[in-house]
Amino acid sequence: MTEAPRLVARDRPELILGDHGLCPGCGEPVALRILLEVLEELDIVRRSIGVVGHGCYGSFVQIMDVEVLQCLHGRAPSCATGIKRVRPGTVVFTMQGDGDMVNEGLQEVLHTAARGENVTCILLNNGVFGDTGGHQTATTVVGQRTKTSLDGRNPETHGYPIPVADLAASLAGVCYVARGAVSTAGGVARTKRMLRCAFEHQLAGHGFGLVEILTMCPTGWFVPAGSGPDYLTSSLEAAYPLGELPLRGHA
Amino acid sequence: MNGTVPARQLLDGCAAITESAIAAGCRFFAGYPMSPFTGLLENMSRRLPQVGGHCLNAESEIEAVNMALGAAAAGVRAATGSCGQGLALMQETIAELALNELPLVIVNMARNQQDYFQATRGGGWGDYRTITLAPKDVPEAVEHAQLLFHLADRYRAPVLLYGDPLIAQTHVSVDVAARDFGQLPAKDWALDGTSGGTGHSRQIWTWAMGKVSAPGPGPDRHWRAVAAKFEQIARDEARSETHQIDGAETVVVAFGSAGLFVEHVVDELRADGHRVGLFRPVTLWPFPGADLAVATRNASRVLVFELNAGQMLDDVRQFAHDRGVVRFIGGVSIHASGLSFGPLLDAAPIRSRILEATA
Amino acid sequence: MRDEVIITGIGGQGIQLMAKTLALAATRTGLHAMLASDFGGEMRGGPSQASVVVDDEQLRSLPILPAARSAVVMHHKHSAFALDRLVPGGLAVVNSSVADPAAIGDAEVVAIPAVDIARAADAPNAAGFVMLGAYVTLRQLVGVAALGDAMRELVPPYRAQHVAANLRALDAGAGAVLAE
Repeated sequence: MTEAPRLVARDRPELILGDHGLCPGCGEPVALRILLEVLEELDIVRRSIGVVGHGCYGSFVQIMDVEVLQCLHGRAPSCATGIKRVRPGTVVFTMQGDGDMVNEGLQEVLHTAARGENVTCILLNNGVFGDTGGHQTATTVVGQRTKTSLDGRNPETHGYPIPVADLAASLAGVCYVARGAVSTAGGVARTKRMLRCAFEHQLAGHGFGLVEILTMCPTGWFVPAGSGPDYLTSSLEAAYPLGELPLRGHA
Repeated sequence: MNGTVPARQLLDGCAAITESAIAAGCRFFAGYPMSPFTGLLENMSRRLPQVGGHCLNAESEIEAVNMALGAAAAGVRAATGSCGQGLALMQETIAELALNELPLVIVNMARNQQDYFQATRGGGWGDYRTITLAPKDVPEAVEHAQLLFHLADRYRAPVLLYGDPLIAQTHVSVDVAARDFGQLPAKDWALDGTSGGTGHSRQIWTWAMGKVSAPGPGPDRHWRAVAAKFEQIARDEARSETHQIDGAETVVVAFGSAGLFVEHVVDELRADGHRVGLFRPVTLWPFPGADLAVATRNASRVLVFELNAGQMLDDVRQFAHDRGVVRFIGGVSIHASGLSFGPLLDAAPIRSRILEATA
Repeated sequence: MRDEVIITGIGGQGIQLMAKTLALAATRTGLHAMLASDFGGEMRGGPSQASVVVDDEQLRSLPILPAARSAVVMHHKHSAFALDRLVPGGLAVVNSSVADPAAIGDAEVVAIPAVDIARAADAPNAAGFVMLGAYVTLRQLVGVAALGDAMRELVPPYRAQHVAANLRALDAGAGAVLAE
């Protein structure tokens, strides 16, 4: 006898307290779900402190049943440093968009990585400042249209995107860097494993970990909601290859 | 040495403030080197690990204050600082601290008195104020440092010590004893992870909207409550000192090191028969306006002496009993190096300016 | 009993070390002290000055002294700050190997050929300590032994080889005063 089909889209961990208000097709809620599932599976919810930056995902502070410090744009890795240093028994993570981490907060994340702070930074990368209406960030890929690069990012006038995960992977003090995407079922599963791996490293005290999660932003990409995953695969994924990055900073 | 109080030592202001902070239980410090604040970072860097604390030489001032914010959010007595230029970078975060209701002691080891506006008007965003204490010398800085940790925790707010190069670099033999300012409530709002998954997990957010399962007051009620808190502080925490004020026809108003010099000059002038006294604001904010009004009630001249182009002057004009008798006798005066006070901060020129204004 | 002295000379660190040694020795012997310094931006060759106030009671002093009972002048250059603020008839101890004691006005001038004395004591870099030894002996502030202990505390480990010479210089300075 086969099981009756079950709609899993409505499943969510108990740690999610309510609905999100983000766009249809947004990848960020998927990232939140797998993050909270990992915290639950590792049984670290009662030791975890999240430092959340500014972006569409900022609204998650109201629906995630985890202790949270909402902080200034870009500064989450510094706040996380302060928390972890004085409460080393907690599990500290940041949740930041690409505008937050790679624009405003590029020096914060790189310094925190170089110092080998025992925290996990999570980058939700959709190549756009979604919350302000869809503007170019330091991770917008060449050719990508945004409200401040209407004809597509052009290297001559807009320069090139910054692969922050690669930069982090080049620093000693870093123990884990991985890039996943939530555009496919397989991608979701693999990204969840990356998150789990990163937190296990933190629990073992190995140093700094970064998990970059490519997320869909059909609104910011000017594509229909259902076309987000394909657009992600053809544009962002080409610029930001998925997988665990080799660490080049260690002796 | 595990937080025990050292015997009398010859300490410069940076070292003395460090000892005082440690006596108050400060166990986290982050800073970026910048003269004359650097000595505070160096002393903290050496002493905090000795007492089980943490000191980080941050890679920028913005990072330093945000690290300290994190430590404060986790419930630990924390501090940071810089000189005025570095404080300028920290302004957004100071506002964030105020609206998050997080306690933090911030030291402006300034290069001069030109940061009065920065300290008292603030350069962040939103409606907040910053309790600011301006010691006149190293011994007073030692008292103020501990008081500030108490005030920060009591009011859940960032607070400021306004120092200067003379305080930073003058060595004085001091005994730093721990002072008890009274009981404070436990920091049950501080993050430690333990309320995760309970439906009531702690949240620190300037918008204070809470969780959907436990809604917070939201930005309107929260920011109004914060503003009301600062109104209360303004009523309760103003501090000032007077020196030889009885029967003074001329009242000189000065803060910080300038206050120390004016005090000396006032003694000299009184000995020569001049009826002059000093009013010294100890809190720059809340400005002790009510006390100033009383002290200047019978003054025919109110002379403002500060090493800047006239900043505290605005507050004196607002609160002096007779605004019409207020005159400015200070000025910008900078050491050739750019890093300290110039020749105006000296007994002789101050005496001349007071006499000129009373001629 | 309260003493104020302004020490002036040319930088490096010699003036500052002299002043700090005096202030620390006073503190260690149970007195109260204040030490304030000013120096120019240059690492070498610029003005260097320090003020030390010592008292047996809790003292409150301006870090920039309007007037001082004593001056210690290592060099004629940059000496104006000390000499202008010396009270009339105050004590001026002058390094006569380099600076001309006759050029000093209304003061009780004591000439100490500190550089020569230092060389004779095989402590060629320690003219400042010669002057310091002389000064505390003239003012009866602290003993030379206390100065020696304070100096040992202050000299950084990478300069430890100078401690013995500095001690000789302190003694020689004190001796130069007692011999008169």
